Amino acid sequence: MKSLQNPPFPRRRAGLLGAGLLAGLALIGLGAPAQAQRAEPCIGASWELTGPLAHTGLQIRYSVETAIDEINAAGGVLGQRLRLVAYDDQGEPARAVDNARRIGERDNCIVMMGGFRTPNAIALREPLDEMGLPWMGVISAGTQVIEHPNGRNKWMFRVSMKDRWVAPFLVEAARARSRNGRIGLVFEGTGWGQGAVPDVTNAMRAAGLTLAGQETYNIADQDMSAQLIRLREANVDTIILYGVDREATNLVRSMDRLGYKPQIVSAWGVGVQFAQTAGPLAEGVIVAGTFTWMGQLSERAQGVLQRIQAKFPQVRGAQDLLLPSGTANAYDATYIIAETMKLAGRIDREAFRQALYRVNFQGIVTNYAPAFEAKQERHDAIKPEAYRLLAFHNGQLVAIDQTPYAQPRR
Amino acid sequence: MQYVLTGLSVGSVYAMIALGFYVMWSAARAVNFTYGDVFMLGGVLTVVLVEMGLPLLLAGGGALAIAALAGAVIERVFVRPFNREANAIGWMLTTIAVGIMLESFTTITYGPLGRPLQTPFVEQPIRIGGSGIYPQELILPVALVIVTFALEGFYRRTVLGRAMRAVAFNRVAAGLVGIDADRITLLAFALAGAIGALAGFLIAPVIQASSSMGVVVGLKGFMVAIIAGIANAKGVVIVGVVYGVMEKMIEGYLSTAARDAIGFTIMILALLIFPQGLFGRREVQKV
Repeated sequence: MKSLQNPPFPRRRAGLLGAGLLAGLALIGLGAPAQAQRAEPCIGASWELTGPLAHTGLQIRYSVETAIDEINAAGGVLGQRLRLVAYDDQGEPARAVDNARRIGERDNCIVMMGGFRTPNAIALREPLDEMGLPWMGVISAGTQVIEHPNGRNKWMFRVSMKDRWVAPFLVEAARARSRNGRIGLVFEGTGWGQGAVPDVTNAMRAAGLTLAGQETYNIADQDMSAQLIRLREANVDTIILYGVDREATNLVRSMDRLGYKPQIVSAWGVGVQFAQTAGPLAEGVIVAGTFTWMGQLSERAQGVLQRIQAKFPQVRGAQDLLLPSGTANAYDATYIIAETMKLAGRIDREAFRQALYRVNFQGIVTNYAPAFEAKQERHDAIKPEAYRLLAFHNGQLVAIDQTPYAQPRR
Repeated sequence: MQYVLTGLSVGSVYAMIALGFYVMWSAARAVNFTYGDVFMLGGVLTVVLVEMGLPLLLAGGGALAIAALAGAVIERVFVRPFNREANAIGWMLTTIAVGIMLESFTTITYGPLGRPLQTPFVEQPIRIGGSGIYPQELILPVALVIVTFALEGFYRRTVLGRAMRAVAFNRVAAGLVGIDADRITLLAFALAGAIGALAGFLIAPVIQASSSMGVVVGLKGFMVAIIAGIANAKGVVIVGVVYGVMEKMIEGYLSTAARDAIGFTIMILALLIFPQGLFGRREVQKV
């Protein structure tokens, strides 16, 4: 009679099955999200280190390396030295994605730090999700970097300004300074400039105002007389500007030609270099930002500046920190990363991400308490309350309360 | 009024660049596509030399001399070896490549940001009614007129100039009467380099000197030369100035954002109607 019981496995077959099972488990392990793996105590960075935006990467590097030196001098993180692995993306999104892959898969860093351009950051959304790699922005202010259209931003965080929050801040500053309520918008013809139009329009509407004029220009334009003549004819006395140093210089030069001197309230594309290129024409231009290294500094900020100068001799003083807010944001972001790693208790990306919602840190820009919250909108660490108005005065970009422009013109 | 004033200034820059293309084309039937970067050298080198302590005019003169040398080197190394055959176009690639290298090198060494070039002529604008212009910008059309007449005089009244015209007219025949056509071509590129750098030197105080200042200007100067008829000096000067004023009119009365699109469209239409350029003549060859 044939037994109904299955015959026992021969020993050899059982061994093969066991090996297959182990291999299968290993394969499952490999296919699991990378965030489940432990990571290295390194900050991977994709910055603009060469090309026309090379100065932006350098400005971030100054403060990040200085902060890392300070952290390591104080014992490092979880008994290990924190390292920086920086790659150049030349401001190109495709290179930024390649760099993210290197950082996430080869270097296996705990976190990636972003650079200047918003398009680069936006291009990273999917790769970061796939790898489970936390990302920390320090400049790129595009709203959609953090507020993803699908509402499911899990890995991208930022210690910087956010365009959607900047617009009402600028509108309020412009409203307070306009004598006749005629406010105009001038923006560069880039994704950043054009993206600001709905933000500013909505902020104006919320303030019960309408734009009296709206003008744009192309990058590298040398003369903005046509735009300014139209704004002058519209009786605009205050301009909200979304532009960078070079074109902002050409704008104030065009204003000087025409003898037309509206108050400029600018987004933070205008930096310290503007004072050098525009000379006396920079006087009184107001800029939104998070920090300035010029004027009266706290003792702590003064110390940071001195250490940056000691480490990078080419930084002769605050005048060489061309993107003051970005440099300060990057300094704070580096410390937030280190504190978060300590809070997580292990070098693990998912634990790190969870700890970001609990970390508190008193930075040079603001007090981060907590730095982030578990909702997409609050993956931005610097809240609008910490935004500051800065102004050019005597060739320096200083806090507006240290200038004669603190009081509205009315 | 404002559009005419600033248009004259901008148009003079385009015209000087186009004039440089004319000089090169006349001698070699080839041009230096990195010419926008030679224009950039005029501004950037002046700033560098001023920062080194040289007086402005000496620095400007030094920048022009270096740009002229650069023009000659580009001809000798990047144009001549690639322009030996009848319909050779290798020089296009080599000059574009050297332009990219030149701009990248400048960005690395000089930095990506613009730097100011101070002159007394940008401190206070001259205001006429609601319009205004810096004296520095008025120097540009004056310089253009001087360069145009000086070039005309050079071509007509000097032995070297006549030799250049002879090479332009018939390179082989010029060689048969003892003119060293290669040397003349080298000098033509050097002369064009100096003209381009002069434009860069004069406009830099108004727009800042930066490594990328020549990209768009070089392109527009070449377009002006083609539309005018690259072999006609007066033509390129007139079209350059007219294009500058037209640009400002488009900005003022049509659209700022679409300025280049509209301007280029008008130029393409003009080229369709006048394939040899507005001032060009059909070249007839006996076969």
